[in-house]
Amino acid sequence: MARFRQLVLSWEAGLVVLTVLVVIFGQLADHDLISSFNLQTTALNNVILLCLALGVAPVIMTGDIDLSVVGTLALSGVVMGDLMAHGMATGLAIAIGLVLALVCGLINGLLVVLFDLPALAVTLGTMGAYTGISFLILGGLAITTFPNSVVSLGSSNLTGTQVPFATVVVLAIAAIMAYLVHFTTWGKSLFAVGGSRKAALFSGIAVNRVRITTFIISGFLAGFAGLLFLGNYETAQAGMGASQLLPAITAVILGGVSAYGGTGTIPGVVLAAILLALLQSALGLHGFSGEGQTMAVGFLLIIAIGAQPLARSARDWWRRHAGVREIASAGTGESRGGSESSSGASGAEVRSTAVN
Amino acid sequence: MSAAEMISDVATSSARRSRVNAMVRRSDTALLGLIALITLVAVATLSDFRTLSNINNLLNTTALIAIVAIGEAVVILARQIDLSVGAILGICAYLVGEWSGHFSGPFGPVIGVLLALALGAGFGLGNALLVNVFKMPAIIATLATLSIYTGLQIIVNNGSQLYLTQVPKWLAGLRGNAWFGIGTFIWIAAIVLVAVSFILRRTRFGRDVYALGSNPEAAAYLGVKIRLRTFQIFALCGALAGLGGLLYTSQFGNVDATAGNGMNLTVIAAAVVGGVSLFGGAGTALSAVLGALLLGEIQNVLELTRISIFAEQTLQGAAIVIAVAVYAVVSRRLRRPVRREAFLSEHPTLNPAAIEAAGGTSNG
Repeated sequence: MARFRQLVLSWEAGLVVLTVLVVIFGQLADHDLISSFNLQTTALNNVILLCLALGVAPVIMTGDIDLSVVGTLALSGVVMGDLMAHGMATGLAIAIGLVLALVCGLINGLLVVLFDLPALAVTLGTMGAYTGISFLILGGLAITTFPNSVVSLGSSNLTGTQVPFATVVVLAIAAIMAYLVHFTTWGKSLFAVGGSRKAALFSGIAVNRVRITTFIISGFLAGFAGLLFLGNYETAQAGMGASQLLPAITAVILGGVSAYGGTGTIPGVVLAAILLALLQSALGLHGFSGEGQTMAVGFLLIIAIGAQPLARSARDWWRRHAGVREIASAGTGESRGGSESSSGASGAEVRSTAVN
Repeated sequence: MSAAEMISDVATSSARRSRVNAMVRRSDTALLGLIALITLVAVATLSDFRTLSNINNLLNTTALIAIVAIGEAVVILARQIDLSVGAILGICAYLVGEWSGHFSGPFGPVIGVLLALALGAGFGLGNALLVNVFKMPAIIATLATLSIYTGLQIIVNNGSQLYLTQVPKWLAGLRGNAWFGIGTFIWIAAIVLVAVSFILRRTRFGRDVYALGSNPEAAAYLGVKIRLRTFQIFALCGALAGLGGLLYTSQFGNVDATAGNGMNLTVIAAAVVGGVSLFGGAGTALSAVLGALLLGEIQNVLELTRISIFAEQTLQGAAIVIAVAVYAVVSRRLRRPVRREAFLSEHPTLNPAAIEAAGGTSNG
């Protein structure tokens, strides 16, 4: 538990440091970053990404991946929008859409787990299938009128404040997910399965059930993201939200979830989403266009994930060479190695010391 | 199937019979049968399918996808993945189209092709750099470079588009030209297929690719130069994506900043449908080509039957899932008896038939 807490503190601390840096430099360059209007817009524009990321995170923690979330988002969003447009009661339409999303997740889970297929291929296929069905339902048209309750969920503020309602809801979901992942038996088994599927099986964990549940949760949250999409952009069309897939996975990975499974935290994912949101906002305010922001996300990913191994191999190299030169004093080589590694990027660096 | 299992397969007593069986059961053969079946049905029922222009169009599109899919297949064979091929293709389509205008004369095409290959290989090396030096998992590294290369693509395009009139004649005419009655695209795809198949089958590089894909740790113990191979694998994939970009310019004649955007997943889908295992080590260059052909044909038939262009994505997605499921079931079925026979030939006393016979004699 102590080691777990240490890991949480370290990786998240790195993300916080990076976020603070972004805020400081962004604020110095353009004075609008920390304006209430900009923060509100940024928060509202990133709830869908965060909602998807929260769903995908447990899947990646178990060592699988779910690419189909954008398909589920589009399908359930389109179904909800279509039902509402045909005059169905809002609550019922939402319920049907969310159940559909749940079923989408269940299908992924059953295909991956029961048939023992690679998650990447299955969810690549179901992404196409779900998106395609949403195309079939609307036939290329778009729905643009929604009940007030849906719109206010997606785009209004908490009464009396400038805090978007959707952001509060998604943060509440994040809190629930954090509880589930870090404080329940299910959450523990998540990491066990991600660490070693075989070992988890031998220690009596219902591996299949755990893996299927992660897919169901991922599908459900993707459906909820679809609902937020309807309210936020007031449009339902096939293939909506497709551009959110890679940013959502980026947020999960940047949040410290290993792509091989077994590590990661929900607070980390939330912090990573905040970091990405603020970085994009800062770049946008400074006059960088969309491609500049996309590239920055790519570089950030490389720095966060790649800097740590790079620092380690640099340190190893230094140790080896220092060892050859000063074979008598190993202590000096050790201390030099330490100073070398501390010059790495802050976020990854904190983690590497914690792991060592 | 891994190399070790193939060896044990050969070592079993039923080797001769299983060789014939294996030929029949091979995924390539099955896929070819499926493609032939769809073709026959389409030819018989759809008069539009039979037209020369449609078949040319189908084969040209397939050739373009197949070339990029072959590169992706090599990467997947080595248990890596490259999500950035679409962006590499897009950048190369624009830059090579623009630059090759400067090289006129008889060597123009040669320089153009070399340029496309080199540029693509450069981007592939960028991917390998992240995998090797930064020790990033390939899926994350290429996710990052997908962002970076896409951004680069938009910057390079700078809001403008490249039209067929702006590219040299040999490039613009590449699509329509034919040698010995067969389109240039198909020749190029065939050359790539033969070359990569040769490399995979007959060279140390190819054996290392399969070794890395089957068991990276064992490959390391065997002395496979993993870093070098990773550089080569990603460079090859990038180079073929670059070549695909060259064909893209000729095929669509209109290159904008979104060129190749959806290509990443299509190419992976082609390789997977063709039978290249995402776990590495199983599949060939031909698998990728057949996968591309199958997907291309399904799409073509759907377009012709006007089922609805919206159903395409659904059916393609379903095709991927079904293909993966079928391969998993088939490979498991194939593996089971082989293992059993190999085990029994090593431990003949444990053979249930022998035990039964022994029990029978002692009883009687």
